[in-house]
Amino acid sequence: MVEPLRALLALCCLALLTIPAWAAPLDRAAFAADLCGDGTAQVRGPEGLVQAGGDLSADDLAFAGRLLNALAERRLSCPADGALLLDRPDAPEGHDALTGAVRPAAEARAPILSLRQRAAIETARGTVALLTGPDPAARAAGLAVVERRIATVPAAVLDRARDAETDAGLKATITGLAQAAALSSPDPARRLAAIAAVAASPSGTAQARLAALKNDPAYASDPAFQAALDAGLAKVSRAVVIGDGLAVVYNGLSFASILFMAAAGLAIIFGLMGVINLAQGEFIMLGAYATYGVQEAFRRLAPGLLDLYLFAAIPVAFGAVALVGIVVEALILRHLYRRPLMSLLATWAVSLFLVNLVRVTIGTQNLQFAMPAYVSGGVPLYADFVVTWNRLFAIAFAAATLGLTLLILRRTPLGLDIRAVTQNRDMAACLGLPTRRIDRLAFGLGSGLAGLAGVALCPIYSVNPGMGSGFIVDSFMVVVLGGVGSLLGTLVAALGVGGANVLIEPVSGAVAAKVIVLVGIILFLQRRPEGLFAVRRRR
Amino acid sequence: MSGAVQTALAGPAGPARRAVRDPLVAGLVGLCLAAAAGLLVAPPAPYLVNALGQLAAFAILAVSLDLVWGYLGILSLGHGLFFAIGGYVCAMHLLAHGAAVTGVLPDFVQFMGWKSLPAYWAGLDHAPYAFVLALALAGLVAFVFGLASFRSRVNGVYFSIISQALVYVAMLLMYRNDTGLGGNNGMTGFPLLFGWPMGSPGVVTGLAVAALLTLAAILASTRLLVGSAIGRRMLACRDDETRLRTLGYSTTRLKLGIWCLSAMIAALAGILYVPQVGIINPRVLAPDLSIEIAVWVAIGGLGRLGGAVIGAILVNGLKFWLSAAMPEAWPFILSGLVLLVVLVLPNGLLDLVGWRPRPTWLRSSR
Repeated sequence: MVEPLRALLALCCLALLTIPAWAAPLDRAAFAADLCGDGTAQVRGPEGLVQAGGDLSADDLAFAGRLLNALAERRLSCPADGALLLDRPDAPEGHDALTGAVRPAAEARAPILSLRQRAAIETARGTVALLTGPDPAARAAGLAVVERRIATVPAAVLDRARDAETDAGLKATITGLAQAAALSSPDPARRLAAIAAVAASPSGTAQARLAALKNDPAYASDPAFQAALDAGLAKVSRAVVIGDGLAVVYNGLSFASILFMAAAGLAIIFGLMGVINLAQGEFIMLGAYATYGVQEAFRRLAPGLLDLYLFAAIPVAFGAVALVGIVVEALILRHLYRRPLMSLLATWAVSLFLVNLVRVTIGTQNLQFAMPAYVSGGVPLYADFVVTWNRLFAIAFAAATLGLTLLILRRTPLGLDIRAVTQNRDMAACLGLPTRRIDRLAFGLGSGLAGLAGVALCPIYSVNPGMGSGFIVDSFMVVVLGGVGSLLGTLVAALGVGGANVLIEPVSGAVAAKVIVLVGIILFLQRRPEGLFAVRRRR
Repeated sequence: MSGAVQTALAGPAGPARRAVRDPLVAGLVGLCLAAAAGLLVAPPAPYLVNALGQLAAFAILAVSLDLVWGYLGILSLGHGLFFAIGGYVCAMHLLAHGAAVTGVLPDFVQFMGWKSLPAYWAGLDHAPYAFVLALALAGLVAFVFGLASFRSRVNGVYFSIISQALVYVAMLLMYRNDTGLGGNNGMTGFPLLFGWPMGSPGVVTGLAVAALLTLAAILASTRLLVGSAIGRRMLACRDDETRLRTLGYSTTRLKLGIWCLSAMIAALAGILYVPQVGIINPRVLAPDLSIEIAVWVAIGGLGRLGGAVIGAILVNGLKFWLSAAMPEAWPFILSGLVLLVVLVLPNGLLDLVGWRPRPTWLRSSR
């Protein structure tokens, strides 16, 4: 029977310890007297307010804030008893701070502030602003003041501010500040708890914050602190490495999806007709401009549905660019099938024409796109790894395109025809396939895929007439590496090139990454000149 | 096609023999010599002299590409790389020479906060060394890239695309500021040429005359080359490489040799070009510029050295004139010109005057 009783007693004591702290209201008269008192009292009042700040009621805080503001703005006047709030400095009368009654200020004296009192008063004002500020800007200003003298501010104030904060960015700042304050607090138990708390939500900043503590004298003298810090740091470092690894994989994947989108159409056209379409980059640009056109149409006709424009743009961009491709094929390329090198020059001329046409008619500026919620922002997943929606959109888009293209190539009559002509054009023609018509349709399909790539790029890249030339060389490399006419080869090559670029970039810079990847591709072609997945075919 | 290769190797007979004595090339060489003499005797306004010199440099570049594309069937979309190697080494020589004479370091070196020129600039103030270095470097890069490509039988469109990637990567590399080669601003402000102040009428005329004489020499010598047994092997290789290889010729060695020679000629054009424009920057390495070289050749007449020269002069002359007169319209005119030539005049503008010096066995798939 003794043990439970003792536990109950301990609980009661704990309760007794905590309850008075919540209940204690501000002694308003004493606070006013302190502000009107001598230098020592003028420091004691504000410092007491800061210490108690976490537990005071909003009314008390507002009262203290009025007095402190008046004092700082020289609008506080001190008669023999109480304190007067003036409307402006040196006004003849003012309101009594406690009762609100109007009293003459003639016989009152104005309190004098020195530098030391001013610091204490500013901190107290900052605390009040942080806790009761009406908008995030006011609270952020208060936080900035508090941060300067963070050592004198108790954790309860920051905790309360954090719990009450509605602005996410400000909340994160307050949390970070509270953690930093707790980490450097003189109380060892609080420090250990803070280390555990920081380690529980790992990130690059948490790692830096903990690593800085290694220089703390306690690290050498206090074994418990050292053990806790080492354990926390190890945990955070591991998590950060994993998070960064995930981020690299994610970025590589998103880069690879864009490469794939750009290269898929190129690969189909090249595999079928042996024509490298140098205008493919410009077709992508046209796809992006078509998306812009759809957006503007939504803005005019159906502003309420504006968020859906990216989805509406998918068929429009595909159709429009496929049409352009078919026209280019019918007017120009069909005369050049026996001269593939000349078709390079012809498609280059087409690209030059398209770029300058857009430049002259629409202008060279970057287009502004509305960013619907599903392509802006992101969700932090683990440590510093944030899944950004725009890149996820591109990845999902590329995956859907891959699936759909495979479906067309494998399961439809057109796909069957395309594969037959790719493998053996003469035999396919002998069997009665209209090879020229299939060429044209396939060119339309490949061009349409470029248009889709343009849609996927809109939320990520800046859209302007010259955007096509940016990644066209990369997508050529993907086609060459992947092997002629193999969509899976294109996919693997895109993943490889994208991954290699992202992996090498942090080590040696973007340019070196491109150089290394290109040299790697040339060396690889030494061993397999036909690329990764060459379709067996007769020439 | 089998008859074609045998005929090619045996040498032209009948009407084809006339092709060896190429009146077009002879006329152009004569024109170059006459123009050089004219410049020396009665020089026109300096800007005209300068423009003529630049055109001659471009013509040399076009000849170098025609040598591999028109006669060997290898379309390089990266010839700007070799042109730029020549140009950059030349610019380095001019700056090093200026720094050695005047003692003032080039702007970009001061901009980077360096106290002296980077170590690998040593000796570049000596013109012969710089000249040999430019050609050797271009030849070396061409050799390594050509060996890797031709050995694994990378050809056709594949080769074109990879050569384009090469020039693109080189451009990215030169845009960096820490290479010691001027970064994105490039190199400019050359003070002296062989001790004479740059931009003085004498130097301008001298450079233009040198470019014209070099063009004449390159034209004459490449014409001799393509008319020789090697030239016949080149045509055979272009028309049916497999068959030539089966007949016991090493096509890899043949292609590699001509490829390196072409690269060195392009570097020579770069050497002549840079002192005339007074600047070099990474934009000469833009893939578009390298494609434009192919456009000159295609417009002038593929597979005819004279056609390359005419194409280069025509397109660049038009560009000089039109990009000043109506800059908006120039890209449209250029793309229209390319499409016209590619679709209607497969042998270039020389088709217009019914110029058909090439025997029928040269007409083949390219």
